[in-house]
Amino acid sequence: MQTVDYSQELAVIEKRPSLREIDEIISKPLETKPDKKYYLALSITVTMLMIGVVGLGLSFYYGTGLWGNNNPVGWGFPIVNFVFWVGIGHAGTLISAILFLFRQKWRTGIARFAEGMTIFAVMTAGIFPLIHVGRPWLAGYLFPYPNQHSLWVNFSSPLLWDVFAVSTYFTVSLIFWYVGLIPDFATLRDRTKNKIKKLTYSVFSLGWRHSNRHWQHYEMVYLILAGFATPLVLSVHTIVSFDFAISIIPGWHTTIFPPYFVAGAVFSGFAMVQNVLIFIRKIFNFEHIITLDTLEKMNKIILLTGSMVGYAYAMEFFIAWYSGVQPEQFAFINRAFGPYAWAYWIMVTCNVVFPQLFWIKKIRRTIPVMFAIAVLVNVGMWFERFVITVTSLSRDYLPSSWAYYTPTLTDFAILIGSFGLFFTLMLLFTKTLPVVSIAEVKAVLEDAQPSHKDH
Amino acid sequence: MSDNKKVTNPNFWRSLKEYHDNDAVFTAKVNEFNEGVTDEFDPSEISPVSRRKFLALLSASAAFAVTSCTDYRDKGEIIPYTKRPEGVLPGKPNFYASTCTACEQNCGILVKTREGRPVKVDGNPDHPINKGKLCTTGQASILNLYDPDRLQYPLKGKSKTDWNEVDSSVISSFKKSISEGKEIAVLTGLITSPTTSKLLNDFVNAFPTSRVYSYGLFTNKNRLDAWKESYGSDSLPAVDFDKADVILSLDSDFLGRDGSTIENMRKYSSRRDVLNNSNFNRLYVAEGGMSLTGMNADYRLRVKPNLQLEFVLSLANEIALKRNASEIDLSGNTLSLVSKYSLNEFVEKYSLNEKYVNNLVFDLIQNKGNAIVYAGDTLSKETHLAVNLLNEILGNTPVYSNSTTTFQKPIVSTIEIKELISKMNSGKVGVVIHFDTNPVYHLPKDLGYTESLSKVNLSLTFSQSVNETSVNSNYTLPIHNDLESWNDFLTRDNIYSLQQPVIAPLFDSRQKESALLRWINENDNYSEDIYHKYLMNNFEKNIYSKFDTPTDFKTFWYTSLHDGVLELKNNSSPLSFNSNSLNNIKVESNNAITLHLQKNYFLGDGRFANNGWLQETPHPVSKIAWDNYAAVSPSTASKLSIENDDVIKIEADGKQIEIAAFVQPGMADDLIVIELGYGRTEAGDVGSNVGFNANNFIVYGNDSVKYNLDDVNISRTGKRYALASTQEHHAIDDTFVKDFHYIRKIIQEGTLQEYKENPKFLDKNKYDIFDITQPHIYEGLKWGMAIDLNKCTSCAACVTSCNVENNVPVVGKEQVAMGREMQWMRIDRYYSGTPEEPVVSAQPMLCQHCDNAPCENVCPVNATNHSSDGLNQMAYNRCVGTRYCANNCPYKVRRFNFYNFRDHFANAYYENDLTALVNNPEVTVRSRGVMEKCTFCVQRIMDERENAIREGREIIGDNVKTACQVACPTDAIVFGNINDSKSDVAKYRNHELGYHVLESLNVRPNVTYLAKLRNTHSEEV
Repeated sequence: MQTVDYSQELAVIEKRPSLREIDEIISKPLETKPDKKYYLALSITVTMLMIGVVGLGLSFYYGTGLWGNNNPVGWGFPIVNFVFWVGIGHAGTLISAILFLFRQKWRTGIARFAEGMTIFAVMTAGIFPLIHVGRPWLAGYLFPYPNQHSLWVNFSSPLLWDVFAVSTYFTVSLIFWYVGLIPDFATLRDRTKNKIKKLTYSVFSLGWRHSNRHWQHYEMVYLILAGFATPLVLSVHTIVSFDFAISIIPGWHTTIFPPYFVAGAVFSGFAMVQNVLIFIRKIFNFEHIITLDTLEKMNKIILLTGSMVGYAYAMEFFIAWYSGVQPEQFAFINRAFGPYAWAYWIMVTCNVVFPQLFWIKKIRRTIPVMFAIAVLVNVGMWFERFVITVTSLSRDYLPSSWAYYTPTLTDFAILIGSFGLFFTLMLLFTKTLPVVSIAEVKAVLEDAQPSHKDH
Repeated sequence: MSDNKKVTNPNFWRSLKEYHDNDAVFTAKVNEFNEGVTDEFDPSEISPVSRRKFLALLSASAAFAVTSCTDYRDKGEIIPYTKRPEGVLPGKPNFYASTCTACEQNCGILVKTREGRPVKVDGNPDHPINKGKLCTTGQASILNLYDPDRLQYPLKGKSKTDWNEVDSSVISSFKKSISEGKEIAVLTGLITSPTTSKLLNDFVNAFPTSRVYSYGLFTNKNRLDAWKESYGSDSLPAVDFDKADVILSLDSDFLGRDGSTIENMRKYSSRRDVLNNSNFNRLYVAEGGMSLTGMNADYRLRVKPNLQLEFVLSLANEIALKRNASEIDLSGNTLSLVSKYSLNEFVEKYSLNEKYVNNLVFDLIQNKGNAIVYAGDTLSKETHLAVNLLNEILGNTPVYSNSTTTFQKPIVSTIEIKELISKMNSGKVGVVIHFDTNPVYHLPKDLGYTESLSKVNLSLTFSQSVNETSVNSNYTLPIHNDLESWNDFLTRDNIYSLQQPVIAPLFDSRQKESALLRWINENDNYSEDIYHKYLMNNFEKNIYSKFDTPTDFKTFWYTSLHDGVLELKNNSSPLSFNSNSLNNIKVESNNAITLHLQKNYFLGDGRFANNGWLQETPHPVSKIAWDNYAAVSPSTASKLSIENDDVIKIEADGKQIEIAAFVQPGMADDLIVIELGYGRTEAGDVGSNVGFNANNFIVYGNDSVKYNLDDVNISRTGKRYALASTQEHHAIDDTFVKDFHYIRKIIQEGTLQEYKENPKFLDKNKYDIFDITQPHIYEGLKWGMAIDLNKCTSCAACVTSCNVENNVPVVGKEQVAMGREMQWMRIDRYYSGTPEEPVVSAQPMLCQHCDNAPCENVCPVNATNHSSDGLNQMAYNRCVGTRYCANNCPYKVRRFNFYNFRDHFANAYYENDLTALVNNPEVTVRSRGVMEKCTFCVQRIMDERENAIREGREIIGDNVKTACQVACPTDAIVFGNINDSKSDVAKYRNHELGYHVLESLNVRPNVTYLAKLRNTHSEEV
């Protein structure tokens, strides 16, 4: 049996790059002109975005009738997409805040990028609650503002809690992201010779001079923000789950939803981060910064959260049986064997079965396989939201009003558009901001901290 | 300043500067204590705009800026109502009594008008037949008044013409025909109006070669002919179903389609009134298709229509000969005929439920004289003759009403129709007048009516809109809607009702009677009131004279118009049965597949095809809207491997049709039922090409019209056709979803016997529910509704009444198929039992106005909330359309405007100035993106509140009648203040049969349902 030397900390960054090398390699994408491949990728994502814009434009012009929603199934693709994207937005803050508090050094390579993804995913998600309403031009009614009608919003509605939860999460994530960027802006400001860039970076770096005093303040702020963001990671999807759990619809009205949703969100978020990072590390030659070890650690989290989600699926069935409530029992039997059984089994296979392969170390460390599994996880998690939203509504209490929901082309156009928006923002991000935190990576270099090695 | 003296060499000085430079110091000294501006200014240099002018300009430009931001539109000329027309109070409706002509039953109606336009039609409470109730078709017929497809001027061919041109060319054609000895044929529907009948007589007198042909797509001619043979009378009595303890209906949908359904439903359900009369009747139905009456049956036997004759004769044999219980002596041919059939053999041969048949025979004998056997209009004359015999055997004639119906013009025989067509073909007919009928659509193609029409010199079609006949005619003449017309009707031989216009004619149309009158008096000019005068004249001569009254004619006339109905003396004679009427009966038994053509429920003879409300009302049994279909039983379907939505080819009698199939549980095997009245090709934007036209299959036999065809061939075409249903069709025997309505306590039922033994038998289903919060206490008013499922027949009159009252839009077939119908009220239908012999439960479902409404707490913007008197309210203006409320409604009664449906349906067919007039001004017209639902007719509650305030009294709950309640023919719906212990609704709510749907959710609904009691046989059980 091979012994592991636990007295030695494993290097997070491989190849022992010098500090200057770190600066150079991370800021390289920002200092070079985009190549053909970049434009090709951008044109694909922008096309997807435009498909969504057309779908949305038609929906605004003609009405939500262009979607597949009907009388029992009031919520269809838009809400499914909303929950999906909010879920994707969970990994970033989890990595940067919670893992920061737990002093997980391997997070430094991926934190910035994951945070960026959070911001973009929440932006994408945030569109859906506004566009899914029947009269989007009145969506402002959802915000509590003083008005001449003396009308206030209904604070007992989970949809309103959503408004607060998502907007708070977005704001805090954005601030956290920005604060983390300040030292890097300063580095970039010092490197660049372009005047406009210099001006922009100067403004955003807020006069950062890498002084000891700055670092002291910075570390404190970062710690406080991390502490502040940590509960939000848990609260956002908890509150999103309340949209369902607070209702009385069988299959929605379950107390397991908050932890189950959070686990699912982290699950899908990590899968998405892993997917995108596999490209990033290859394209930008970050393989020694975002190491295979880091990817493996992410796969372990996917395995953990995937198992939690699988447990939740099983527990839902148990509780439905244990409750003795017939509509509840039927809701779950109907999920597995009713008209939407296909969606249910896609969900179970993708979310429960495939991630279990990560028990095998070889699979955890083989990039193509882990990539495929993470893609399936995201497919499965999208279907999880579809199964929850649609199957419960399509067959609820009165069999007389049951109906099958079939999405329309417009629904798919908007779904494609959401991916288009997300990846467009992602691509712009890679060319405008450092996708890996320069300062933090420097801090975890093998020689960065005083050590007793070689003494 | 300039006039100040300049002082040189001052006498005293304060500084050297003052001494030497006197000017500057002097100026400074002068200005030392000046106020305001001290600088010199030139008035020519300052702006010519004065302060006042500036302020004026400022305010003017602000006003411009503000007004340019408003959505000011030219709203047309506004005319002050300074000279108010007498009797019209803006905001207050006027009601006028009139008569409905949607079918030949001619119910009395009360038309509600607002500011001169009719907005709602309800039954006339003073009318002795319908007693304030009106069917779905009658309710929705108001939309036809405002139908955008209505003809606005006469057409010659397809081009516009004017009435003068029509008058001159018609009169000259008449003259030419007479001189050539050619016939002038008038094709009319069934005539129940004595004055129209007199007018037609006058017409025949004026134009001696003319002849009147009265026919219909469906008539009760078979029943009438049989009655005449059995009893020698043309006057057909109504049936007092309230007198019958046992009813056997043979393919008769007497609650849904056959005869005076409103009256039948009322009388039938008066014996299902658990609050006042627990002496229930028992309903046996022997039928092939699955009808509304069959849904309500206590026992249902599946008998194909062509076997009904054999069934009746077998029953007669069993009762009269085997059990020796006949009230009359059978002799001669009748005896030998009856003795040929054995009930046991019949039961065995067609595998009927033996127990049910035994119960039936037992009950019929036990209740002799208080039972009725009633056969459907579409059955053969022979069957009706046999039914008359069976009723005589059982001595059931006292159940016949004294009130009889006689058509004013006899229905023509099939031979006369055929002769007319051959005369037309041989050029012996000069003019054909279609008196608001549509024979090109109604008559089977093999008669060749369409072709013969082209051989007639002149053909005229009176119609409200273009139809199949009018496009084949020379002239299409627009006629008044019923609500623009004058007329009178003999609803029954002893009940006379008047029709009066409630709105001036909207278009350049004429009442069809007026047009004839204009032609009869060819030298007079047309005036709008010629028929009005003619009617008054006739009324004075024939009606007024019958009343020995001291009032003068004018007063009597206005009183009659006000009441809308007059009861005449009844001169019915006792019935005498001719037992030899059955001499020529032949019984054919046939095991091949039979095709049965049935009436549809809502579209009349097809004339209401262009009425969106009616097309969208789901079929009472199958819940399919916007289509007819070939219904087959589940076992026949699997035998022929047919599934729902398969297009099948039906061949019979040398004709064929391709039609969508629908597997209907409860149908007799080897039977296809198609409802007629669909498949119009020239009905307008709404009604054209909706459903399938199977009129071709009607057989114009030698003596009667046949609606049953034997030896039908069925083949699959491999094509599919999507039928749109408002209820998903679950396989009834799928254990996965079976009997959910019982398991979930949506439907609670029992038997009458069970109830009598233990009136509180439902209590075992009650939950012990507690609130974790303090429940809100409602003091004073609290609105609630009760629906008695014993009385409800699921006729859907409430649904349509609600549509009209609450401006519910038409969404169209494709939206119904997507599950987006907008009706606030629906009738849920559930099956239990086997697919072959299902037990049907129906339940009107509407917003339950729950105390703990789950929709309310999830709305993020408070658009739906609770009123202090217990209403679940919707603030449309506040609604952003998250649809969360609809998701969270366990009853799924909320309806979302996925589109602006008025704009979306059929290229904005109903979005125009004309159709907008049908909207109830008291109810907001909802637009896109807004949730809506039943309001408990809050506008009517507000009306009562206004009245109470004006009269200085408390609100009386029973004064508020919701639209569905007013329409319900059986008074199954009760509304009022549930905190008023004396109110009807409180009685229902506290009744031991009262329950709430999904009680276990503790949402505390305010609609109480009274559990249905089935009057099954307890004597032997």
